[in-house]
Amino acid sequence: MTSLLRRRARTPDSDAPVINMVDVGMTYPNGKVALADVNVRIPSGDFVFLVGPSGAGKSTFIRLLIREQLPTHGHVTVAGRDLLRMRRGQVPALRRRIGIVFQDFRLLPSKTVGENVAFALDVTGAPGSVVRRRVPQLLSLVGLQEHVHHLPTQLSGGEQQRTAIARALVHDPAILIADEPTGNLDPVTSWEIIQLLIQINQLGTTVLMATHNQEIVNAMRRRVLALEAGHLVRDEAAAAYEREY
Amino acid sequence: MPFVRFIGFSVVRAWQGFWRNAMMSLAATATVILMLVLLSALFLVISGLNAGLEFIESKVAVTAQLEDDILVPARERLIEEVAAMPGVASVEYVSPEAAWERLEAAYEETGQSLETGGADITLFASLEVSLADPDASTNVSEVLDDEPDVTRVLTKQAEYDTLLNIINLIRTVGIISVGLVGLTVLFMIINTIRIAVYSRANEIEIMRLVGASDSFIRWPFILEGILCGLIGGVVTIALVAAVWDPIQPAMVQVFQMPTAVSDQFLTTLSLLLLGVGLGVGALGSWISVRSYLAATR
Repeated sequence: MTSLLRRRARTPDSDAPVINMVDVGMTYPNGKVALADVNVRIPSGDFVFLVGPSGAGKSTFIRLLIREQLPTHGHVTVAGRDLLRMRRGQVPALRRRIGIVFQDFRLLPSKTVGENVAFALDVTGAPGSVVRRRVPQLLSLVGLQEHVHHLPTQLSGGEQQRTAIARALVHDPAILIADEPTGNLDPVTSWEIIQLLIQINQLGTTVLMATHNQEIVNAMRRRVLALEAGHLVRDEAAAAYEREY
Repeated sequence: MPFVRFIGFSVVRAWQGFWRNAMMSLAATATVILMLVLLSALFLVISGLNAGLEFIESKVAVTAQLEDDILVPARERLIEEVAAMPGVASVEYVSPEAAWERLEAAYEETGQSLETGGADITLFASLEVSLADPDASTNVSEVLDDEPDVTRVLTKQAEYDTLLNIINLIRTVGIISVGLVGLTVLFMIINTIRIAVYSRANEIEIMRLVGASDSFIRWPFILEGILCGLIGGVVTIALVAAVWDPIQPAMVQVFQMPTAVSDQFLTTLSLLLLGVGLGVGALGSWISVRSYLAATR
């Protein structure tokens, strides 16, 4: 498996944050404050849950990390890149350092599992030899090698999410952002996806998972970032979904 | 190699996109053909009229009838003076005898003989001024008019001006018509590509999320528009080539100009049709994709 995802060695510099947000604020043109003075430092290799009620600012948090939006103030650094100083032409290179999966999988229905994964390589100009080598490797990692020719409609929800994870990993990203990845899945399948994310994290990929799933957060006992009305109200290691007193 | 991969990727996706959205793509291509057929017709008419204009330009001359009693030194002075004027190519003195011989020759050409009924007719002596620049006609006429030894000045400026006005009118109306059709085609292509772009909004979003550059997103759509223009151009060229044989003699007959159709005519027209087709296709799709990407950035 180490050949599938490059295992990131722990070096003296490995505590350098892969995500660093300093005094980040985001106010929409209509005056709604989505994020206010958020300070977050996530070291490389961490597994972090992002929790909070709907409208707390989780989506904005993620959109800032992938530079879909820019903060109205503060600084955001992702994988060593200052997102505010970044030119538009440099954004694709940033996005290849970040893998992202969503609750609704966002697979292309007319493409097979293999084609969905290959698509992410094709559209970034990867040579055919890389595509032919990488796609089976990643499908093997997520346990879908038997489904390479299946269309998404022929897959279960868990299998679709696995396909989306394989696609997110094609560029061997430093960070995997999972936005409610278990939101559409039953409990058993949700745990299978979590196991897969842990496996990926153990290979050195930083995982940031936004979720409402209390059971998973409580069972995992990982670092938890809690947002409420745009404010970071909690940043706790080995924590539960809700504050424990 | 990355560039070759990029081109390969874009061409394949443009081709797939064209057929995935076949009805709209073919409708856009049909409007391109309509525009290019109109453009071809305009090109044919204007070429024929231009050939006529060139013919008249080459024949534009000023003829000055001279007094019978003009003295040789005065005539020579007048010839020198006119020959020195800007836009004048040459000045020829036509004596009454030479004018009579021309008249007889003209009658003979039509198979008749010139009968004077015994009368002794003397024609005017004249100066025939050939012009290098047709615009010099007015100036030369005015100078000759002021000469006391000149009784009358004749020019073909009026015919030239009339034809020039007709050509300008046809050219203006034609360009406006082709422009309006061109705009329609442009909007058609913009809409076709816009539909294609919106139908693949999910795909574009995924492309962005996995780190595809704007070129990888934009060029397949631009090539799809270019494909509409290319197919439209090629079909129109094939149509023109198919009717080319009857068109050639018709143009010569209609415009009464053997020079109305040159050897290079079809090549020039084909290049024009291909260029306009590709240009409209590329411009329409570029506008469409650019506005979409800017709005969803």
